[in-house]
Amino acid sequence: MKTGVWLHGDSLSKEDPALRRHPEARSVFVFDRPFLEKAGLSFKRIFFLYESAVEAADEVRVGETVEEILEWMRQEGVERLAVTESPSPRWRETVERLRQKVEVEVVPAEVMVTVPEGYRVKRFTPFWKDLGGEWVDGI
Amino acid sequence: MVGMYCEKIEEARESVHVGGRKAALEALEKFRVQGYASTRNKLKGNVSRLSFYIRHGVLGIREVAESVRERFGKSYDAVKFWQELGWRQFWRHLYGLWGDGVYEDREAAKVPLGNGAEEELPREIVEGRTGLVCMDETVRELVETGYLHNHARMWFASFVVHFRKLGWKAGERFFYRHLLDGDPASNALSWQWVASTFSHRAYLFNRENIQENGGKEWCERCTAKCPFDATYPELERRLFSK
Repeated sequence: MKTGVWLHGDSLSKEDPALRRHPEARSVFVFDRPFLEKAGLSFKRIFFLYESAVEAADEVRVGETVEEILEWMRQEGVERLAVTESPSPRWRETVERLRQKVEVEVVPAEVMVTVPEGYRVKRFTPFWKDLGGEWVDGI
Repeated sequence: MVGMYCEKIEEARESVHVGGRKAALEALEKFRVQGYASTRNKLKGNVSRLSFYIRHGVLGIREVAESVRERFGKSYDAVKFWQELGWRQFWRHLYGLWGDGVYEDREAAKVPLGNGAEEELPREIVEGRTGLVCMDETVRELVETGYLHNHARMWFASFVVHFRKLGWKAGERFFYRHLLDGDPASNALSWQWVASTFSHRAYLFNRENIQENGGKEWCERCTAKCPFDATYPELERRLFSK
């Protein structure tokens, strides 16, 4: 099955974890028109994203994300999708919608320290005390 | 792309900070961690200015941390820098837990705040016309470059929320619109940290703090009656007494 990679706003690099797992895959980034029309971002932000996206992705599209990805997959003959994980609720919703149509492989994002499943803390000091040692002391 | 950004087309400008991995790797290579710990709070201190690349995954957070380790080893500066990278992962962790809940007060405020009803900040603030040079220059830099030093972000947020008694959400939207590293969790929760709805106490600053960390140049040019020229106990009395 031919795999394609969806690059999103948290993963604008050729070194994106999903792309590293599928180095031969074609990739797409979509400027989500409905979101951007509502968000009112500055031109600078959008241009910065554009500069990053054109270097990272094989194709940059503008439109509704799910529709554009599915259309791109048809054009490229891509049958399944891989994407790097994001904590964004919009990302989760998009993946759920894509999964109604195609197979989606979620690749873990690059992290600095491993946060255990179910870990809950709402201040940075205990967070870093508990988890920062993996990085700071482990070298 | 017209209609997808907030400025009029004739006002649309790109940032001095260039996107893309090539530019990101050059910026990473230029960054030296020496002096980071002692100078990072100063506006002209040795900060990395890599946040927008990390925010959008142009550089990996671990990639940046490892680059510092490989080039400079483990030092007090490096440990402090890794800790600041840790903040980014902390915000990400909370975003995963709370999702759009980052846009709601996480805790009761510890000090009196405004009613937070504003959708947007007043025009005089976002157009840099308050007459307070430090705040107006901060806005100018944000709008022109899409970047602000963290200390300038904190001063501006405290000015909006505590000195002007405007809601943090309007300030959050203004920053999110312009910051190249604008991230929902980092931005919203940092505004809440200043407001005291995500911290044990409100964040205040005074003129002395600005001069110590930002230099005296702003104050020397300023002719306004300075609302920040007071001790912290005085400011707390003035701003937080019911």
